[in-house]
This record gives sequence, structure tokens and C-alpha cells, in this order.
Amino acid sequence: MIVCVAVVGHQNNPLYIQSFTEADDALKLHHIVHCSLDVVDERVNNPKKAGPTLNETFLGLLYPTENYKVYGYLTNTKVKFILVTTDLDVRDADVRNFFRRFHAAYVDAVSNPFHVPGKKITSRTFAERVSTIVKSFGLSSAG
Amino acid sequence: MGREVSESCVESLLTEMVSSYCNQFYANKPELAARRIEAIGYDVGHRLSERYTMERPRFSDHLEAIKFICKDFWSELFKKQIDNLKTNHRGTFVLQDNRFRWLSRMSIDPSPENTGLSQDSSVALAENKATQATNMYLYFPCGIIRGALSNLGIPCAVSADISNLPACSFVVRIKA
Repeated sequence: MIVCVAVVGHQNNPLYIQSFTEADDALKLHHIVHCSLDVVDERVNNPKKAGPTLNETFLGLLYPTENYKVYGYLTNTKVKFILVTTDLDVRDADVRNFFRRFHAAYVDAVSNPFHVPGKKITSRTFAERVSTIVKSFGLSSAG
Repeated sequence: MGREVSESCVESLLTEMVSSYCNQFYANKPELAARRIEAIGYDVGHRLSERYTMERPRFSDHLEAIKFICKDFWSELFKKQIDNLKTNHRGTFVLQDNRFRWLSRMSIDPSPENTGLSQDSSVALAENKATQATNMYLYFPCGIIRGALSNLGIPCAVSADISNLPACSFVVRIKA
């Protein structure tokens, strides 16, 4: 299950962060997302370690913690997408697919002429679309 | 899944936008009008670059980003690629389009208005006025290029210059 998704701007400013848990652990999830930003920077600045995935937008598993797995995605415009999940065996293809759809939703949201670039995304349509994508995550592999 | 937009609508919109800014909002301040039009272009380019770079790996250097502008970005916008790209390898790029779509229907008034002046100088005057008017239409595409490149992390200044219609070249100077 996905517990949190976040969009972070090119100056590491939060653009959108949403948790999907019943429990009151938003702060913890924000902390995890915050920590992952350093890992993203490290991946991007040391491309040798990244190996074959050089310059690919999908950054793969950033780091596993006791309860969560954190995945990252970096667009051409230096916007970072972070995904926090509790599933232990996640298929890479599922995550890639998730990020692709998430990216499409993000692009549609920022193409709105009333959205100011670099400001938080407040669009309700975007929020709804994201929760649909989150709900459908991993369904193909489970079913 | 591409959506289509009527080409004539876009061209009419551009014409109307330039004329509103030059003749109504900032009638006596052409520089201010130019800045405003450029800013609109910047915004458009910023958003478009987000969309058109979606399915591709990140660019490793400036040249790759410029090539993307010349090929894919230009194809999406104008259904053709930039015809010629020159660079001095020190941050200046010249993008030449031999038939720039937004200038292809531009025409210059052939009849000199001022009969009092000699033929030569009135022709020169008319040409000068025409060049100024045409230049106004180029601030928008300049802004688009600048917006797209800045969103890709390349701050730059873009200027345009017309050699002979409808050919047009855009000069991109990357800020160090």
C-alpha cells in the first residue's frame, strides 16, 4: 500500500505532499520524504554509482527503512517525485507505471494557466487523480 | 493522445495579442509592450517544456537541451525542425528557421505613404517601420524558447533577427 506521495520542486521546495494513512503519522512521512531528497541529490551528482540507469527519470529504490520503501523519480525540469510504500515486494514495473501516470497528472496540473510555477499545487482535480492512481497501484500484480 | 489546435486560431491570437499590447495597453511604450509579450511567451514555454520532455531521459549537457528545442520541441510547435544550428561552443547558439511559420504570412506595405519625401528615403522609412512591426511578433517565440530552456535549468537570453522574410534566426546566449 502506498502511504505517501510527494512532489518536490527544483529548489527542494515542497509542491505537493499527501499521505494516505488512517494513523496520525504525517510528520513521520514528511520526514522520510525529506531524507530521501539527499539520496536523490547523491544519485544525480554521482552518476557512476547509478550504473546503467544513467540520466533515466526513474531513480529506482532510494532507500529501504524498517517499515517503508522509498522510490524516486526526477524529471527533466528537476522536479522530484517521491513514493513511500509499505509493500515489501514491489515490482519495478509497477512503480515505473505509477510514476509515468503520476507525471502525466502533474504535467496536466501545471499546464493550468492559473497555476503559478514554483507554487504549491492546490488543484482538486489533481488531488483526485492522484488518489485514483494511488488506489490502482499494484492491482495488476495482485489480481 | 495529442490534442490538436487550429493553426489559424493560434496565428490570429498572436496577431491580436501583439496588436492589443502595442496599440492599446502600452501604445506609447513599445519596450514595455515587448517585455509583456515576452513574459507571456516565457510562461507558455515553461509549461510546454514540462509536457514535451515527459517521456525522455534527462539531458546531460546544454547542447542536448538545445538539440531537443531544435528537433522535438520545434516539431511539436511548428511541424518542422530548425533548419540550421550554429554555435561558438562558448554558450551562444544560433537557431535558424528558413521558413518560420508565424512570419510566413507577414507582408510589407509596398506603397510609400509619404509622398513629400524623396522615393528612396520614404522606401527606407517604410522598411524601417515594417521591420519594427515584425520584430514585435518575434518577442513571443523568443519568450517561448527562453521559458523552455530556463525550465530545463539553463538560464539564458534569447533575441531574434530577421534576415529576409520568412527566414528568421534566434540567438540564444546562455548565462554562465
